[in-house]
Formats: sequence, structure tokens, C-alpha cells
Amino acid sequence: MRIEKALLVFRKDWREISRNWQVLMPILVVPLLFTVAIPAAIILIPGLMNAPTSSTAFLGLMVENLPGQIQAQLSGMDENQVMIYVMLLYFIAPFFLVIPVMASSVIASDSFAGEKERKTIEALLATPITDGELLFGKALVSFVPSMLVTGGSFLLYSATVDLLTYEMFGRLLLPNLEWVLLIFGLAPTVSLAGIGLTVMISARVKGFKEAQQISAVLVVPILMMLFAQASGVMLFGPLMVGALTLVFILVDILLFRLGVKIFRREKILSQR
Amino acid sequence: MPSIETEGLTKRFGSLTAVDHLNFDVEAGEIFGLLGPNGAGKTTTIRMLASLISPSEGYARVSGHDVVKESLKVREIVGILTENPSLYDRLTAYENMEFFAEAYGITDRVERRDRIRELLELFDLWERRDDKAGNFSKGMKQKLAITRAIVHNPEILFLDEPTSGLDPKSSKDIRDLMEELSRRENQTILLSTHRLEDADRLCSRVMIIKDGGSVVVGSPEELRNKIAGTPLLEIRLRKADERIVRSVEALEQVSAVSLDADPGRMLISLDDVEAATPLVVRSVVEAGGMVLSVNVVEPSLEEAYLKLVGGDSE
Repeated sequence: MRIEKALLVFRKDWREISRNWQVLMPILVVPLLFTVAIPAAIILIPGLMNAPTSSTAFLGLMVENLPGQIQAQLSGMDENQVMIYVMLLYFIAPFFLVIPVMASSVIASDSFAGEKERKTIEALLATPITDGELLFGKALVSFVPSMLVTGGSFLLYSATVDLLTYEMFGRLLLPNLEWVLLIFGLAPTVSLAGIGLTVMISARVKGFKEAQQISAVLVVPILMMLFAQASGVMLFGPLMVGALTLVFILVDILLFRLGVKIFRREKILSQR
Repeated sequence: MPSIETEGLTKRFGSLTAVDHLNFDVEAGEIFGLLGPNGAGKTTTIRMLASLISPSEGYARVSGHDVVKESLKVREIVGILTENPSLYDRLTAYENMEFFAEAYGITDRVERRDRIRELLELFDLWERRDDKAGNFSKGMKQKLAITRAIVHNPEILFLDEPTSGLDPKSSKDIRDLMEELSRRENQTILLSTHRLEDADRLCSRVMIIKDGGSVVVGSPEELRNKIAGTPLLEIRLRKADERIVRSVEALEQVSAVSLDADPGRMLISLDDVEAATPLVVRSVVEAGGMVLSVNVVEPSLEEAYLKLVGGDSE
């Protein structure tokens, strides 16, 4: 593996992606929604409207199911504080896995299937760059921006949450250990899984949109995590995040082995 | 050692045999044409020779390197103009060139810049180097794609339909450039085309393929003479009559004479045009014919091609 060849592919794709609004828009808009719009709504709306009964009932169910350790954190808080605390620190957490999966799969779809669609793949495959170098360069260009967006979103989210809740709680809620593990441990492994799956999907489809549509199903397991979290079945505590990270590392290894197997230039050309 | 040699080169996609036991050699510095209708197997042959896909059977060597076992080496020493220009529309002409120059191993920044500048100037694209490739016309894209294919000064160049879809002026520019490359850089060029005028003008030898198999290999002249027939002698007269025709037919070197619908135009088949022409002209004059012009009409490569592939010349 010649790392400079992989970096060459990375730089070329990076230039292309940075000029492609079709790719940039979802990567920038979705995180803004999660980092600013949703937390602001959670913090500001109940105060303005006196939280509706249904949401209080739902929250009560969620709080009941929380482990004692977290329930202890809630002691001394009023109902509004409990709702904001639980929503911002626990309920929103799985959304932050949507960001790296969405960003990496959008870029990976463009990078692999997009080259086929734009008919640029043949000249690229004709260069003396090996399959491994090509795959690594393209995986890197999907991974790095998705991690930048995830890290940036986390900073923005922490700033929004702290800015809007400091007066209410008298302390900074974020960052905390769970979130640091989530963003810097679990999110990268989830992102890599998204890239691995998108590479495999891209090798079998003709174009960017088709690859993107199919890879959208990657969000389904994350939504399941969201519901599991909301119903108290699973909670993103440090242990759970660590265990999920390990699981995803194994999934990544498996997917990349499969991806390398599938990524054959001959197959890509003959499937056009 | 030939630049390209193949033996029994075959490619199957499922039940379809795209290339069927091709045997041919291309000498160093030669422009070799691959002629055939759409779907004849030209692109698949080039893809195998450029180590993009592997043969199902047989072998091919490019500059002595096996296209399967030494695929990376083969890709280093060949340049390829693919069926589509394969340019990155969001990158500028210069950025496109820079990427491929580095991919083909020109790592020194100064050397890379000088080579790109030299080529873009040669193709009249230097002034447009900062324009995105997506804004280029079809002819300019094709020129840029050729520039990309030769950026690393490859020993062997594969050109797949280089003038396809271009207007006459752009086609001529590309043909001129190919001649220039062959003359200046002494590159071996394998030119796949269904445009016969390109093959006729540029190639020292051509191979006509049909349904994946080789039909015939030879120089354009050989193919014209062998397949379309020998040259004809055309004599234009102020007025042709039966007496003149009979006197020409009486010559032993003449195999056939026809009077064209065009008044005064005689077409004469001869065994040896060069040797027999003075005798024929004398016979015409002695029979009272007033000669306006004498021409040798060469059979066209198109006639040969149409006889072999059965009409699909595009």
C-alpha cells in the first residue's frame, strides 16, 4: 500500500466534493437541525407553552425506566429540568450517530457510484493505483469529512446546550464522559460501517442516487437504538457505548474484508 | 520484440463471447488500427490490453509484460483514451491533468508542471487551464482526454474512438495530433475506430474484427487491393465510342473495359496499372480518341471494409 497514492485519491475526491452542493447540502443541513434547532426547541418551547401533558407522561415513563445511577443525577431537579436534562443528554444522543452515517454514506455514494454515473471510473481504474490504494483513499474521503462534521456538530451542540441551560442548571451539562465516548469512540466506528456498506452497495448499482437511496436503510438500526433508548430498553451510558463501539469495530472489520473482496475493477467495469 | 502481442485472446461475459481468439502483433512505433462495427469487441480488446479486465482465455503481452500477472506494470507504461473522455467536470483542466500526472508517477512538482504546460500548449488548452472541464466543448474535452492519456509519455497508447462524435474540424485536429505524437514521440498507438478515413490516413496496418474475431490484418493498401480489387484506370474522353472501346479491349494487359454513364468516362481493369497505362493511352489516341484526363482510381478501404463486415460502416 503506497499511502501517497491513497492520499492523491483523497485530495482529488475532496476537491470534487467541496464543489458539489448535492453532496454538501445534506451533510451541512441535517447536523444544523440536530445541533441547534432541536435542542433550542426542547429548551425553549416547554417554558413558553407550559409543557403538554402527553410529553410529560412520555417523559415520566422514560425517567421511570432509567437506571438508578441516572435517576440519582435527577434528584433535586424540577419537572422541567428533568425533561430538558433527559432529552438533551440521553434522548438526543442516538441522533448523533445519524450524522456520521448520513455524511459518510452520502460521500461514499458519490465517490464510488458517482464515478460510475459520471463515467470517470474507467480512466481512474486504468491508472497504476492498486485496488487497495483506491479503496483506502475513497474510504478516507468519506470518513474524514464525516468525522469533521460529527465533531463540529458536537461542539456546536455542546455550545447551544450549555448556553441555553447554564442559567437553569448553574453548571455546564456538556461535554460529559458518555458524550465524549459516543462522539470519539462509537461515531467513528459507526461511520466506518456506513462506508463499508455503501462501498458494497455502490459496487452493485449504477449511480449516485440509487446508492444513496439504498444506503439510507443504514439509518434504520440507529432509529431502533433511538426507540430503545426512549423506552428505556437500552441506555447510552459509558458501558453501553463502549460495548457498542467494540461491536462496531468487529462489524467494520467484517465489512471492509467483504468490501475489498467486492471492489474489483473488472466487476465495476463490466457492471456498467 | 513486438510492443503488443496476443495469442488466442478471448473474453466472455457469461454466455456472450465479446472477443474470440484474437491473434495479432503490433510493432514498436506503429499506428495499428482496430476496425469494426459497434459491438465488434474493440473496446473489450483495449480493456484487456490495458489490464482493466482480464482475458477469459489466451494471453496478451504489452511491452513484454503479461497483462494479467503484471497488470500494475502494464498500467504504468500505457496511456488510454477511454470511450468517454472520463474527465472530472468539477475540476479544472489543470487539476485533472495534475491528478493523472501524479497517479502515473510524475511526483516531482516542477517536472509535472512543465509537462502539463507543454502538453496543454501543444493542444491549445493552456489559456483555458483554470476552467472547469465541465465547461469545455466536446472537442476540447476530447483533446484534454488525449492530453491526459499521454501525460506520462507512455510507451504505448490506446485510443478508443478518438474522433467519435466530433465535428470535422475537431476530428482533423485530433488526427493531426495523433500523427504528431507518432512522429515526435515515436509512440506505439493502437487506434480503435469505425471511422475508415482515420484508419486509412493514420494506420500502417489495420485489423478488421467482427463479432469478436479477427477477419483480416494488413496495411490499408493491402486490404484495398486484396479485398476491394486492384486499382482501375480512368480515362476521360471528349467523346467515347465503340471503336475506341474495342481497340482497348484488344490489348492483352486489359481484363475489362466499361463505359460509365458519365459520357466519355472509361474505366479499365488492368493486371498492372503502372506498366499498361502508356499502352492503353496510345491505343485510345490511335483509335481517334481525344483524351481529356488519365487517372488511377484506387479502391477505397471502405469498399474492403463493407465487403468484410457486411455493410455497417457508419
